[in-house]
Amino acid sequence: MDTTWLTKAWANPQALSANLWLIIALPAFGALVCGVFGRALGRTYVNLVACASVLASFCLSVFAFQAVAADPSVIVTPAANGVPMRFALSGDWGVWFQAGSFSAHLGLWVDHLSATMLMVVTGVGFLIHLYSTAYMEHDAGYWRFFAYLNLFMASMLTLVLADNLVLLFVGWEGVGLCSYLLIGFWYTDAANAWAGRKAFIANRVGDCAFLLAMMLLVLTVTAFAKAPGTEPPAVFFAQRRAVWTHAATSEPGPLNFKVLEEFAQYMPANLAMGSRGMLGTDIPIGPLAGHTYGHTLTLVFLLMLLGAAGKSAQLPLYVWLPDAMAGPTPVSALIHAATMVTAGVYLLCRMAPLLVMSPAAMATVAVVGALTALYAALIAFAQDDLKKVLAYSTISQLGYMFLGVGVGFFWGAILHLVTHACFKGCLFLSAGSVMHGNDNEVNIKKLGGLRKEMPWTTACFGIATLAITGIIPLSGFFSKDDILHGALHARLVGYEWVGPTVFAIGSLGALCTAFYMSRAYLLAFTGERSKDAKVPHAHESGWVIVAPLVILAALSIALISHGFPGLLKMPNGEPETLMEAFLKPVFGVADRLAIEAHSLLPEAERSPWPGFGIALLLAWAGGGAAWYLYKRVFPARAGKPAPEVFAAVRAFTVHKFYVDELYDAVLVRPIKLLSIGLFRVVDEGLIDTVLVGGTAWVTARIGSLLRYLQTGDVQAYAAMMAVGLLAGVGYAIFEALAK
Amino acid sequence: MQISPVDTQNYLLLAATLFCTGMLGVLVRRNALVVFMSIELMLNAANLTFLAAARERLDATGHLAALFVIAVAAAEAAIGLAIVIAVFRNRGTVNVEDIRTMKY
Amino acid sequence: MSTSQLVFFGLAFATLFSAVLVIAARNPINSAMSLVATFLFLAAIYAQLLAHTIAVLQVLVYAGAIMVLFLFVIMLLSLTHLGDPTPPPALHQVVGGVAAVAVLAGLVVAIWRWHEMAPVGRAREGLLRFGTLEQVGGLLYTRWLLPFEAVSLLLLVAMVGAVVVAKPRI
Repeated sequence: MDTTWLTKAWANPQALSANLWLIIALPAFGALVCGVFGRALGRTYVNLVACASVLASFCLSVFAFQAVAADPSVIVTPAANGVPMRFALSGDWGVWFQAGSFSAHLGLWVDHLSATMLMVVTGVGFLIHLYSTAYMEHDAGYWRFFAYLNLFMASMLTLVLADNLVLLFVGWEGVGLCSYLLIGFWYTDAANAWAGRKAFIANRVGDCAFLLAMMLLVLTVTAFAKAPGTEPPAVFFAQRRAVWTHAATSEPGPLNFKVLEEFAQYMPANLAMGSRGMLGTDIPIGPLAGHTYGHTLTLVFLLMLLGAAGKSAQLPLYVWLPDAMAGPTPVSALIHAATMVTAGVYLLCRMAPLLVMSPAAMATVAVVGALTALYAALIAFAQDDLKKVLAYSTISQLGYMFLGVGVGFFWGAILHLVTHACFKGCLFLSAGSVMHGNDNEVNIKKLGGLRKEMPWTTACFGIATLAITGIIPLSGFFSKDDILHGALHARLVGYEWVGPTVFAIGSLGALCTAFYMSRAYLLAFTGERSKDAKVPHAHESGWVIVAPLVILAALSIALISHGFPGLLKMPNGEPETLMEAFLKPVFGVADRLAIEAHSLLPEAERSPWPGFGIALLLAWAGGGAAWYLYKRVFPARAGKPAPEVFAAVRAFTVHKFYVDELYDAVLVRPIKLLSIGLFRVVDEGLIDTVLVGGTAWVTARIGSLLRYLQTGDVQAYAAMMAVGLLAGVGYAIFEALAK
Repeated sequence: MQISPVDTQNYLLLAATLFCTGMLGVLVRRNALVVFMSIELMLNAANLTFLAAARERLDATGHLAALFVIAVAAAEAAIGLAIVIAVFRNRGTVNVEDIRTMKY
Repeated sequence: MSTSQLVFFGLAFATLFSAVLVIAARNPINSAMSLVATFLFLAAIYAQLLAHTIAVLQVLVYAGAIMVLFLFVIMLLSLTHLGDPTPPPALHQVVGGVAAVAVLAGLVVAIWRWHEMAPVGRAREGLLRFGTLEQVGGLLYTRWLLPFEAVSLLLLVAMVGAVVVAKPRI
């Protein structure tokens, strides 16, 4: 069979590079059309425009992905500096803004990482747009919905395609805005509007940290580039061809990813400066002078972790995501499960070459991720709202991704991101389908018995449940357990305890995941129809809703190929997964730098299969426990009150460990009191009364005095003009005489 | 052909005196019509300056400026006198001291 | 003192005298007639400045058309009566008068001190054409065509405006 068409770019890479902006512009244009003309165009055309723009974006993304993936230069390793070259499409539309020596470009690029994200965002995005056309068919605000959804796509694609942190931040804020707009989509209900605000403010906290991290990074990189004694800045900023792109810019600014990667190359080098290279030396100039590079980078990544935690709903900023379920279900699927909330993971992976310089930051990331994974899974135990269960499950799964990033297992985190987008998208869309067929009922105790009435939805939800639980022939198994396996064998220098600890916490979390997901499935889909159900008989949704479910479910199965160990062999004979090989050009640098910087040491590769066996056992145990409790124990005890201990534990869990109340007491109330005080004294007293009122009062008094100059006599005015003229003439003569 | 030996300075002095005479009329006369005439005097003083400078530099552009001033003066006289007529019809006077409704 | 200087000083004296009469006469008719005289003397001075075209226009437009307009209005409104005895001058009139005289003093000082004035009087190339209708017209219809047309529009607007303002009812 002729396979050359696979290893050759389908579209001209130069042309693709020059037109990368279209991937963003198409959904943005769709948003404009839907938002401005949507009401006039009518439902059919809005659906058409919204879906077509995303589909076109998806097609372009496929070409870009294929061009990146198929290029044969991927594995080339030039001997010059030992950096594996990698291929990326890259377009630069000039300087966006400039301040002193700082500049940011309007640059986009597609390397293996952003190509992967592109496929997820546009692919899942298109399916969910399609789904939404049916889901929102009775909503009067359909045009607003699609305008927001398209705007979200444009922002998310900006985030993914940006080749520098500043542009990424634009997308980052854009998706935050769209998330806010869509959570509060049904804003006439005050609770929804509050949920939107909560999400926005929790994200603000993170964004603030992210901004601080960027500023610190600018100072650090600029100080390094300008420091006397280092290599000339020209060499530093000019491309050393670590990344091979079609459009090279000479000085892309300090926050460009290529520059940051280049910066990272210098950090561990020159071992003469001590065992940890540049990391142990002081920054010589600038505001950060006197602090070592290593400490500064640790601070940068702790702040960046806080930013990522805000967007990706990690401890301690996760509280907004469960409330975000107030939005329409497709939104929950697209924004709050598949794409936006993974932005934090993407960001940290994007920064991987620098992140590995700081074992302390990596350990923090791993611990935060592991704790979140377990903690959210525990809360999910007692939630009766199907969407809330899925929301906590999302938080938990994002925790696994952070865990993977934290132990330097970047490709695993990205693989889990991809599979999670598929199966969690499928779960949310199935939940939406359930709500669609059951008059918006989300309480799993009031559903039941949907297996007979909604066979397709049940099947898809079941497959996705098995995938997230980690049953063997499904993608979730390898993506999650690859991460756990990686965690067990990662050795963070100085933090050796982290690997095994997060492995243990993560495994416990996996057990809980199996339990709560099985519980949700069993209660909602099997057994008898609940007596409290809103409608006596549910109906299966139409094909527009079912088709995306089926596709996503199929992908949840098919993606196992990328996590299956041993499909490929590394040059040294160790097994390698497809995903690892695919992302090697991106993360290979990080892996090599980690060893050079002596921060993350790989252990001798052990067979993953025993670990996988344990994981499978845990998954079956969790699922079995759920089945035993909810199919055997509870039905048998029906009517009898639960023992008090369990009731208390349950109440504690149902109330989400009282974290919202804790935040309310510790943060929200004091800030509110302070704000009220400030409002009364500073705002009302000082600004309103003294400044604004005072200015008006003084102006009015002066005016009422000066108005008597307005005699209404035209000659008086003319006389004043004459006096003015006299003053002018006098001044001119005085000036001339003074010379 | 010779330029007359009168210095440009003299013309400028004449123009300045004419201008200030007009200004005095604008500032002290109460009859709106006389005020208008004084304004015409001032405009002519400006014209004289233009023409003197034009001769000094042998540049006929100054003549054009004077031409435009004359045209604008014609327009101004037409409108101004129409206003005087309208005011007189309404108030029975053209005394600028009696027309001061736009006061505090 | 040459002839042309004598002529100039005579004309300048006559101009100033009639200008003072304009603002001093109690009867507006006298003011208007003095103004006509001023314009005519000025036209002569313009001619002496080699601005022949402007001198002719001065006589035609100013001394002719505009002054007819003034006289017409004076007659129409019967403003020829001398009116009540002049009230004592208001403060602003005193201030304005002083300012006008002071400005004159300032201007005279300024012009007096203007030493760089180049002496004129020698023959120059192109002097024969200077200020003729041919030259002014040539400039007017080439480089200054747009301002010229704009002025024509201005006059049209002024004409319509004058009709609208002066008519008792429209």
